[in-house]
Amino acid sequence: MEIIEKIKNNKLIDNQTEIQKICLHKLQSSPLPNPKSELWRLSNKSKFSDFLDYSINEKDPKFDIPYPKNSQSTIRLIIGESYQIKIIEENYSIQQLSEDELDKHIKEQISYFDQNENWSDLLNLSLSCTKNILGLKINGSKIPPIEIFSHASSNSLNAKTLVIFLEKNCDIDLLQVNLGEENSSLSQSTFFCLEENSSVNHGVVSYGENRSNLLNSLNVIQQKNSEYNLGSLHFKFNFARFEIRIKQSAGNAKTNIKSMQITKKDEQISTYTKIDFNGPNGFLDQLNKSLADDKSHAIFEGSIIVPKIAQKTDASQLSRNLLLSNLAQIDTKPQLEIIADDVKCKHGATISQLNEEELFYMRTRGITLPEASKLQLSSYFQEIISFIPVSKDRWDLLDKLLNEK
Amino acid sequence: MVNENLVEDVVKEPYKYGFVTDIETEKIAKGLNEDTIRLISQKKEEPKYLLDFRLKAFKKWQTMDEPDWAGLGYKQIDYQDIIYYSAPKQKEKISSLDEVDPKLLETFDKLGIPLTEQKKLTNVAVDAVFDSVSIATTFREELAEHGVIFCSISEAVKNHSDLIEKYLGTVVPASDNYFAALNSAVFSDGSFVYIPKGVTCPMDLSSYFRINSGDSGQFERTLIIAEESSSVSYLEGCTAPMFDTNTLHAAVVELIALDDASIKYSTVQNWYAGDEEGVGGIFNFVTKRGKCLGKRSKISWSQVETGSAITWKYPSCLLLGEASVGEFYSVALTNNLQQADTGTKMIHIGPKTKSTIVSKGISAGNSINSYRGLVKMGTKATGSRNYSQCDSMLIGDQASANTFPYIKSQQPNSEIEHEASTCSISEDQLFYLQSRGIEFEEAISMMVSGFCRDVFNQLPMEFAAEADKLLALKLEGSVG
Repeated sequence: MEIIEKIKNNKLIDNQTEIQKICLHKLQSSPLPNPKSELWRLSNKSKFSDFLDYSINEKDPKFDIPYPKNSQSTIRLIIGESYQIKIIEENYSIQQLSEDELDKHIKEQISYFDQNENWSDLLNLSLSCTKNILGLKINGSKIPPIEIFSHASSNSLNAKTLVIFLEKNCDIDLLQVNLGEENSSLSQSTFFCLEENSSVNHGVVSYGENRSNLLNSLNVIQQKNSEYNLGSLHFKFNFARFEIRIKQSAGNAKTNIKSMQITKKDEQISTYTKIDFNGPNGFLDQLNKSLADDKSHAIFEGSIIVPKIAQKTDASQLSRNLLLSNLAQIDTKPQLEIIADDVKCKHGATISQLNEEELFYMRTRGITLPEASKLQLSSYFQEIISFIPVSKDRWDLLDKLLNEK
Repeated sequence: MVNENLVEDVVKEPYKYGFVTDIETEKIAKGLNEDTIRLISQKKEEPKYLLDFRLKAFKKWQTMDEPDWAGLGYKQIDYQDIIYYSAPKQKEKISSLDEVDPKLLETFDKLGIPLTEQKKLTNVAVDAVFDSVSIATTFREELAEHGVIFCSISEAVKNHSDLIEKYLGTVVPASDNYFAALNSAVFSDGSFVYIPKGVTCPMDLSSYFRINSGDSGQFERTLIIAEESSSVSYLEGCTAPMFDTNTLHAAVVELIALDDASIKYSTVQNWYAGDEEGVGGIFNFVTKRGKCLGKRSKISWSQVETGSAITWKYPSCLLLGEASVGEFYSVALTNNLQQADTGTKMIHIGPKTKSTIVSKGISAGNSINSYRGLVKMGTKATGSRNYSQCDSMLIGDQASANTFPYIKSQQPNSEIEHEASTCSISEDQLFYLQSRGIEFEEAISMMVSGFCRDVFNQLPMEFAAEADKLLALKLEGSVG
């Protein structure tokens, strides 16, 4: 792991920005996450070192978005491409954050970082050069859907950062697509700030090619009366971690999460979520689905933290898992930490295989076993996919999942 | 929100078992080294294999670190400041209960545990352990008629050495964890139960553990073996006097169930919990584990945890035999500055194994009550099932309730279901009950009792009453 040595010796990047300096400094004291900590203990060490084994890519080759635009007007942005974004329409505006604004916001975030918990973000911000940080300030309503792409090219480690400010009373549909080419690693960190009364339907679709790796971290701060809906899908990675940290900074906010990870072959994909209620009347509805086949390993760890201040919180978390092979494994740990007494919190978890009775029923109606399994899987996937915005028309996610070998 | 002061008043009930028995005791010097272990072994006239077992465990313990993963905040324990052996002085050999020091009998009478013959009316055999030694075991002859062995573990070492050598440390190896290693090195006494093939134990067996000295730790060891097609119900109770110091209690309990055997192990734990400021109280660091070795064997844990400053306890089942069954029913009540980190581990290894977990946590005051459990389906556990339910009740806005379920499956043809919820004393329900003329305290007790009913239903008859009494101690009124 050459990269870790470089971090230790402070030889990672030339011409470091101030943020890079701060993050590298934080990383130097413990360059690797603590493998015994709850957040990292299940991560496969050799796969994690696969992630770190590539050298850093600072010059992105030309990247073509794999899907054509359809007739629907969609704003498409690629992180790493240099453009000046300034769209000002009657109802809305989308502008790039100034360097000062970006700096200020990121530094504030870093000040709360925990070495272990935010290791992925620290690494990302250490590696991400100015060109690979996209900061947007969005304001208004009736905004056309936005698609933002992050991409890792072969035989390299790529770091991309996205910062989005959603101003008051603004609502958007945003799809983030993370793509990994063969033998690549992508470090993607996203920072979302939702101001009062804003709302976002956020989709995150990440998929790779052969032996690609991903560290995807999502940090969301929700102010009062904001609504954050997340639909996410991760599949086809040798090693992938999706870390979601959501903070309802003053309560009175709504969060809905529907996430799914699909692992095959010897892949390992994990989802970690931490939902922090920092005020009263918070709401959370979370569903995580995993499917593990072949020799793969799917992991979910979700924690809900309800301090004394968060009275009247209503939070529920469900982890549903399908284990389809004798050699695959699933770990799940939905957890609650509660101090407030006037709250409604619940969680549930199930691990099973496809429902035999349903399969039998379909077979008695003349549907073959493979078709019946496919039907069951499609309904299992559909619940999540239908929650991902901007994807319905052209991303063919369901076909992709069902036909993927 | 419910009127918190009233609820707190209800929850604040003094500890009734905090008296100290003034009795002459034989203690060894404080501190722990190889010589201490040799001395304990020598005092108990143990065979060499047991001394070797202890020394090996001690060596292992020295290489281990005290676990901190549960995040329990407590002052570091000075293991050299503990007396590892303390026993009331009495005649060398006791042939009948008449020879037991009357003060001791009085102590157990006060605790509601009748040892004297005339009081042995209830159909429960009792093994009473005072500090480091077993004082008396009742109903031994009656049990012997059925071939059941029920005695202190020290006696078992002398009289049933083959069984001890065969089974001791097979379920909880000395190297299992820090406190199990410590216990294996210095364990003083405890109970031994052997139920022969085909025997249903004619009465409930019970152990009562009493810590009397403030400076000595209690390290008891219990071993229960149920041979093929046998069954036994075992009850365990614990109390301690009030001291300003923290006393360490690190026990190990091992259960072994062979084909078609069944063991029901019930605990009512009411060690001294410390005062309102968190001064004093027992550190209850216990390793309890059962091995369902045989086909269709069953091990059921039920526990009511109301005492101890800190509880760190995960009664577990290793489900090896085909179609074996593991159960865990728990009520944990914490108040003031108590911390309870308790739960279970259900390790499904054999096919068609089944486990059920029902855990109820009630936290009041500034206490922390956590459920931590593991359910694991191994690769051979085809057709296995688990169902877990963890409910927490919060009283007051300073208490904390946490749930940490670890779920792992490597077998597609198995099913795991887990659910957890948190609730508080509902103002609507309270109002409803009060409007029907039920007193406030009684209404709270009724609600707590209803919350715990799933678990109380699993306790043996004799114990259900005691559990009710213990909860009533903390939640005054007619619980149950």
